[in-house]
Amino acid sequence: MKPDIDLARDAASGQEAAFEALVRRHQGAVRGVARRLARHAAEADDIAQAAFLTAWRKTGSYRGGSFKAWICTIAYREFLQAKRKRKTEVEFDEGAHIVAFDSSAARLPEQLDLERALKTLPENQRICVVLCVASGLSHGEAATATGFPLGTVKSHVNRGVAALRKQLAAEDVA
Amino acid sequence: MQSEEKYDDLTALFEAQDAALESEAFVDRVMQPIRKRSRWRGPLLFGAGGVGVGAAVSQIGGLFDIVSVRAASLTHSLDEVRPGTFDVASLDPLWIGAVVVMLTSCVAIVATERN
Repeated sequence: MKPDIDLARDAASGQEAAFEALVRRHQGAVRGVARRLARHAAEADDIAQAAFLTAWRKTGSYRGGSFKAWICTIAYREFLQAKRKRKTEVEFDEGAHIVAFDSSAARLPEQLDLERALKTLPENQRICVVLCVASGLSHGEAATATGFPLGTVKSHVNRGVAALRKQLAAEDVA
Repeated sequence: MQSEEKYDDLTALFEAQDAALESEAFVDRVMQPIRKRSRWRGPLLFGAGGVGVGAAVSQIGGLFDIVSVRAASLTHSLDEVRPGTFDVASLDPLWIGAVVVMLTSCVAIVATERN
């Protein structure tokens, strides 16, 4: 399997097939980040698509490191743009109907538990958990992406992770 | 990446969610506009470039005529020319046209470049 950096270099020179391979490889992570941040699945997939199209234009600016972290940071920025566009506070609605992009994406009970637990976190805490735990950004990278101070990111992640573990453990017992 | 903390248990759960989201339909959705733009990029680039080259080539004959007819006066004029006396109105309209076509070609190339 060709490494991400080689595929990115080929994509930067205009090779669509290389970029398609990157999309295929990282679509799950990007769609996952978008779904954990956006209000509903349709908006999340719009954000994920916009992130990949931005990445296609800017592949030349990828300088190595984790491609997943790079593309997830772009997805986070696209989420912020979408949020600014609709000018409303983004918050997870317990009653929101989450529609899967295709019917094959069936979720296991523990995944539903995780989704539910994530929804209960305050927004900034959820953003930090999504970026650092789900997308693999370092605390420093997350601080750069979000504009939060490094200490705040660490604190959000630690509290968020603790809250998630507590809730998942409670649901296991129940 | 995760040197600060270990979240392997949660990361595994997130990765399982991500894996369930993978679909060819989404890949097609992303790649469709990229392929569409690429389909137009080639013909546009070659078309604009071809027009520019054609316009430039068509001027070569005229250039030789101008040089041969005006060689003497051109030398004389160059001797007399002073810095800061450049006047656009005195240029041959054909050359102005050629420059415009070349600039248009460059703009077309820049505009279609991976947008």
